[in-house]
Amino acid sequence: MQKPSKFAVWLSTFLFCFLFWLLLTWSVALREVLWGVVISALVAAFSGRFLIHHEAFYLYNPVRLIMLAVYYVGIFLVEVIKANLSMAKLVLSSKMDYKAGIIRVPGSPEIKSEYGLSLVANSITLTPGTITMDVAEDEKGDNYYYVHWIDVTETDREKAGEVIKGRMERWIGRIWK
Amino acid sequence: MIEFLIAAIAYVVLALALLYRVFKGPTAADRMCAADALDLTSASALVLYSLYAGRTIYLDIAMVVALLGFVGTVFVARYLEGRL
Amino acid sequence: MRIVIDILLLVGIFFTAVGVLGVNRMPDVFGRLQASTCIATLGTISVSLAGILYAVSEGMGASAVIKLILILVLVLATNPISNHALCKAAYKMGIKPAKELVIDDYKEDDPE
Repeated sequence: MQKPSKFAVWLSTFLFCFLFWLLLTWSVALREVLWGVVISALVAAFSGRFLIHHEAFYLYNPVRLIMLAVYYVGIFLVEVIKANLSMAKLVLSSKMDYKAGIIRVPGSPEIKSEYGLSLVANSITLTPGTITMDVAEDEKGDNYYYVHWIDVTETDREKAGEVIKGRMERWIGRIWK
Repeated sequence: MIEFLIAAIAYVVLALALLYRVFKGPTAADRMCAADALDLTSASALVLYSLYAGRTIYLDIAMVVALLGFVGTVFVARYLEGRL
Repeated sequence: MRIVIDILLLVGIFFTAVGVLGVNRMPDVFGRLQASTCIATLGTISVSLAGILYAVSEGMGASAVIKLILILVLVLATNPISNHALCKAAYKMGIKPAKELVIDDYKEDDPE
């Protein structure tokens, strides 16, 4: 994976900031748009190198964004509601006995880019009951998630990965490599 | 609608209940965790109040509260980890 | 429409109450972080959805709807990062969990 040029990083961050500005102000008066251009250019010059590390224009793909929205509405919401209900059951029970543990879960081999990895890690963290603590890469190039799991029902690592993130990761792996 | 006001009051009461953990929590990480949750709860209360009052200016404030809570939490976490 | 908004608000209040109760009842930091995720997910999602439905049905203008969607997206994008950073910081600080961990791969491997 080669690094993108500095101009590509700047342009990508600039477009992102400017779209955000337009959505936030929601007006096309000339003065506001000009100020938006100036501020977005400054912000992009300072913070572009922290935001984008490879494939600068990966996000500006309408198919990808639409699939992301479909994933969040269709798959992710169901998982979140299920996890919330089990969390509510745990909190409202009187004894509150649970078996916590930190488990190393192997990631899917098709998801390699930072975008896909962070999306999977964020999805794991947002379901109550599991928090990603770290993402590590071993010498063979496989990725591992270290997941703090509040109710360990499966200590075998492959099966635990299937329980924690099976459906979500398959869906992300189709679009976000 | 009056429901928004009632829900906003409920959210504020829940945020006040979180203050117990902020004051009591034995370690700094406990306090910060409760403070992060308090940020989100008060942002939700602001959203509800803006819908009740019909003024969208409170939505901007809610967004800023949520974002500043995130920035503060990440800073404190990096500090506690010893990498700042 | 009004009934749908009411149900969404009730769901939001219920799961926020669950999160607050969890934060106050859990014995250690990790459990508290897990419980506070409830507040960030269904507590915020249902409030934002109720707001979007209300703003669309009352005709509050496009800017209110866009701002509500932006709040939802920003919360969903930023909250996991702060949770992850706090969890890692608490582990690195050496806070002992209240109960013995069933399995602890992080200590054995110890990346970086």
